Amino acid sequence: MLERGRWSWLRTILPVGVVVAIGLLAIAMEPLAAQSYTPREYGDFPVIGSRAAIWIAAQLHLFFAAFVLGVPMFAVVAEAIGIFSSEERYDKLAKEFTRLLLVSYSATAIWGAILVFGLITLYPGLWGYLAEIFAPSMWVYVGIFFFESFTLYLYYYGWDRWKKGRAKWGHWGLGILLNVWGTAVMLIANSWLTYMMSPPGEVTPDTAPEMVQFWSAFANATWMPINIHRFIANIVFGGAIVGAYSAYRFLSAKTDEERAHYDWMGYIGNFVAISALIVLPFAGYWLGREIYEYNQQMGTTMMGGFMSWLWVVQAFLIAVLFLAGNYYLWVGMGRIPGAERFMPYTKWMLLVLLIGAAVWATPRNMIANRAEITAMGGQFHPFLGVLGVMSAKNTAVNLMILTTFLSFLLYRRANKKAVVSWEKRGTTIQGALFIIAAAVVLFYGVYGYFVPSIVRIGFSVYQVLAVIAAIILVVLIDIGMMRGAKSRGEIRWGEMPERSQYALFILAVTFTWLMGLMGFARSGIRQHWHVFEVVRDTSVDAATPALGYASIVISACVLIFLSMVTFIFWVGGLAEKPVISGVGAGAAVSAPAVMDQEL
Amino acid sequence: MTNIKILGVIIGTLAIYTWIANAIPQLESVVPEELSFSSDVSEAELVAAGAELYNGGAGCTTCHGLETRAPNLVTGYSGEGPIGTRCGTRVPGQDCKAYLHESMMNPMAYVVEGGFDPMVFQARVFSGVQIWALVAFLQDQGGVVTVTGAEVAAAAEADATAPAAGPAVASTDPLEIMRGNLCLACHMLDGEGAELAPPFDGMGSRIDTDRIRRGIIDPGAEIAEGFDHLAGSMPPTIPDLLTARQLEVLVDFLAGQGG
Repeated sequence: MLERGRWSWLRTILPVGVVVAIGLLAIAMEPLAAQSYTPREYGDFPVIGSRAAIWIAAQLHLFFAAFVLGVPMFAVVAEAIGIFSSEERYDKLAKEFTRLLLVSYSATAIWGAILVFGLITLYPGLWGYLAEIFAPSMWVYVGIFFFESFTLYLYYYGWDRWKKGRAKWGHWGLGILLNVWGTAVMLIANSWLTYMMSPPGEVTPDTAPEMVQFWSAFANATWMPINIHRFIANIVFGGAIVGAYSAYRFLSAKTDEERAHYDWMGYIGNFVAISALIVLPFAGYWLGREIYEYNQQMGTTMMGGFMSWLWVVQAFLIAVLFLAGNYYLWVGMGRIPGAERFMPYTKWMLLVLLIGAAVWATPRNMIANRAEITAMGGQFHPFLGVLGVMSAKNTAVNLMILTTFLSFLLYRRANKKAVVSWEKRGTTIQGALFIIAAAVVLFYGVYGYFVPSIVRIGFSVYQVLAVIAAIILVVLIDIGMMRGAKSRGEIRWGEMPERSQYALFILAVTFTWLMGLMGFARSGIRQHWHVFEVVRDTSVDAATPALGYASIVISACVLIFLSMVTFIFWVGGLAEKPVISGVGAGAAVSAPAVMDQEL
Repeated sequence: MTNIKILGVIIGTLAIYTWIANAIPQLESVVPEELSFSSDVSEAELVAAGAELYNGGAGCTTCHGLETRAPNLVTGYSGEGPIGTRCGTRVPGQDCKAYLHESMMNPMAYVVEGGFDPMVFQARVFSGVQIWALVAFLQDQGGVVTVTGAEVAAAAEADATAPAAGPAVASTDPLEIMRGNLCLACHMLDGEGAELAPPFDGMGSRIDTDRIRRGIIDPGAEIAEGFDHLAGSMPPTIPDLLTARQLEVLVDFLAGQGG
């Protein structure tokens, strides 16, 4: 309590002082109050910059996402094979796949969160624009993600509890549901990124985002081609990573039984990866065609502009994939009795693959100095220049696909002896189908030189259809022909040279790198647009970098991904030892049974 | 030892891919430079700006640097010399400057014979000044630059005052609407126009009114049979350049074009 008299002046002054202080504060605050909040378009990220930061976050999220979307697909197929064939080793294989999945799931979510926070803080303008259009789908996305997570937990942790009878069917149903959730999540996320590539024609720079029709933006021109392409690519990627995991386990195995198990698992991983790889280029053709039809300038930029050399690198990578995949199969035939009768053909198949790879990797423009250009008689080499166009490249890759399919066919038939009366006729028809498909591919390859590019790109469809038709018909004939076939001997699982396992590592690294490269291509063809010809990139990173810089970022992403995957698998291994299936060394499994189910 | 070998294979594979990607030509996609010239712009400035656009952000060399896609404009084509020496004789009665400008504003107008694809240059994403800079650069390839400062200044003013979107012409006469929106650059009507896209003659007897309207509003939605190769060529901005009345006038007019 204030003392009367001595402090009475304070009692008078205090209210006045408070009023004056409030007044001064109000004056001081006025400029602040007058400033309206203006959101910034871009943020800064230290050292590597905003673009590289978002690039790395998006790429790593996609690597993990592809893995956790691809693996459930063949886990559920392996479980189904186990149910229908009553072979428990398939069930155990499916569970081991899912164990890898479980520990990768949180990494996917973490990188997803890093990506979203990165976009919010570094590209708030773009994020706000996309959120305005896609908000409802973002809410659905997180809802499905929630269901997906809990379905996965039920699927994995319920494996041993729901192992018999009707409960097993219920468990398999959970696996299917997991795939449904995963695919739905992918479809939603794909709509956001494809909108950035191919916004509907009615959307212009002056269209307010709230005026953009949701479904028109969601189901844009490149959405479905990307969905299909990614769906298949995820299977390839999952198979390749599982193959590398198996190779690591094979090389560090202590017992023959362990080696046999991981040899078998590695084979399955490679089989899944290469089988899906065979059809992947067809999805790629469709995507390319849709890009051309959406915007010819974008298509031309992709194939002939600053990105033209990217396809030479891509050709080299795919050549490595085909060669490594076939090499693994050919080496693997060494452990299959009866395969020796096919071995003389491998050198011819290798020749086709090498010629195909060389044609595919031939650049249109040679790197040459003035004297060399004069010697060539122009900018294009008189012979190599002809091989550098899409007609030659499409022909080469289709023939490589046919050759790889032939490798699989020989592997499948290696230890079988058909008993049907029409075996000779069936084999002749199969041979004729290969020749017809190759002839169609070659015909359109040559004809493509005489028509404009927009017509030529349509020819790839006919080439693809010829190859797909041949593959389907040959497989159908083979299944009928090998029904009840006699065995020439059992596959000696585990008796695989160590060098074959390094081929699996090269496959995994190459798939991963290729995925990063194609991500750069897809994103880069927008050039200096966040949303093509609608939202311009005005940041300091608006120019799309050259391939050299991109390759460094991609390699860094692959290295981070593989390091994290190694760590995750190691951690997963600490928690639970993998169950070794009953694939004994030197093998208790009859090859026909295995191959019928696998092909 | 096994782990070291595995690490070596992984790092080695990554190193090879990175090396290859760095060993090939390094092409960057640059952003087209915004130009702000006034009437006193010099010829050298215009040509230099045009050269930068031509070789960079405008993406011209994607096709015009490769003789299989389009004629080479700088080194010459078919023994005719660079574009500056031949642009004045390409279309009777049209001088070099007008020809080059029209070629860019209306890329489907003059497709050179010899199996080339129609030009895919998207003039609408470039400013008027940038277009004139490109014209000046192309004229400079063996010819005389006649682009004037007044034209550049007028384009700059038009760029600055251009409405965000709106009708290309104010008329409600169907022919004027079609001419103003360059429809006849691809479609033929009574002997006027080009035969690249389905002719307007007889359109009403081939497709119904709704289909005609859809074709204008969403050009890529349905492609006329036999014209698949032109999918994506009709500018999707056409509906933004028409008023509702103009659209209906156009639809009625085309629906009335019987056999």
